[in-house]
Amino acid sequence: MHRDEIFAYLWRLIPDDQAEDCLQETFLRAFRAYERTAPDSNYRAWLYKIATNVARTAHTRRRREMTREPYSPVAPGQLTPLETVTFHEDLNEVLQAVEALPHKQRAAMMMRKYQDMDYEDIGAALECSAATARAHVYQALKKLRVRLARGFERSMEAE
Amino acid sequence: MTDKPNPSNHDAAWLGDDDHLLVPEPLTEALDRLYTSGPSETSMAAARIKLGQALKAEDVEVVYYDHVPDSPLGAFFVGVSERGVVALSFEESEDRFQAWLQRRVRAAVVREPSKLCEVVSQVLDYLDGRRRVFTFAYDLRSLTPFQRSVLTKVQEVPRGEYLTYGELARRIGRPGAARAVGQALGSNPIPVLIPCHRVLASDGSLGGYSGRGGVRTKEALLRLEGALP
Repeated sequence: MHRDEIFAYLWRLIPDDQAEDCLQETFLRAFRAYERTAPDSNYRAWLYKIATNVARTAHTRRRREMTREPYSPVAPGQLTPLETVTFHEDLNEVLQAVEALPHKQRAAMMMRKYQDMDYEDIGAALECSAATARAHVYQALKKLRVRLARGFERSMEAE
Repeated sequence: MTDKPNPSNHDAAWLGDDDHLLVPEPLTEALDRLYTSGPSETSMAAARIKLGQALKAEDVEVVYYDHVPDSPLGAFFVGVSERGVVALSFEESEDRFQAWLQRRVRAAVVREPSKLCEVVSQVLDYLDGRRRVFTFAYDLRSLTPFQRSVLTKVQEVPRGEYLTYGELARRIGRPGAARAVGQALGSNPIPVLIPCHRVLASDGSLGGYSGRGGVRTKEALLRLEGALP
């Protein structure tokens, strides 16, 4: 049922300890809806669709409540993205920029870059065409570059 | 070298058009540092446990399966529910196997090798000729009463023996239903374990087999069991 893979996806969309809750929510929704809406094929993309919706809700809530309290540092190694920026301040700007992306663009970018999905499947998960899915990734990339351009120029000059 | 990375190449690589052009650039490096690792094993394990608890609390039944990549019959999937072994499949796509299993059992379907150790080892021992009988209960939900009676009856045929479709039809009290018996055997969700391969056509030919490799697999199983020379 792609449990670990969906968890990794949520972990990338919800950069803190809420990914666990989102995982439960995703699968409970999936099982409740299974008989009504599950597809005969591409069950994976269907799960991504539910996970993407769950993450959007969590993300909206999180933005509202965000206190940006740094997590108590745990042993370095595999940290959540939010913990990573407490160790690498320079990444904070990147994380903020990613977090500020429109949800579909962020989701499309993560699926393309880190979840090994092709554009057909990303489209199925986002309920759009493969071409639109590709455009979402392109837009995400473009926005990140524009937003981060100044920061990178500064750091490159410093080197 | 003071070459500035060419942004259009980066875009192409990102979009999947030209992965070989992917050269380090600050944005990609930063994103990779944030997102490549994925969750740690610890948080993954915690998430699995909590998900299991949540499904239990909601009374969602969980059916476990595993994939066996190598056996004398090739790769197969095998699944087990609380009631017993529920599936053995030579399906090649995990996605399709999951969808099929989920549709059949209407439960949460989870790949969990630790729940399948006993089943897998008995099946492999059997295929290697080191085991003669299985000790499992079978979960035959979702089958019609007729299919279930056929698949239950065929379990009485011992290893090394075989009978005909017509004979099996007689044994379930439906003489003349040889053809329907053949179809019911074709619906066997647990081939090998439930020995539908021990039923042959009345003219002595092997009849059909729905597992991978078709009749050749059937022949291999019968030979392994000593029913064929």
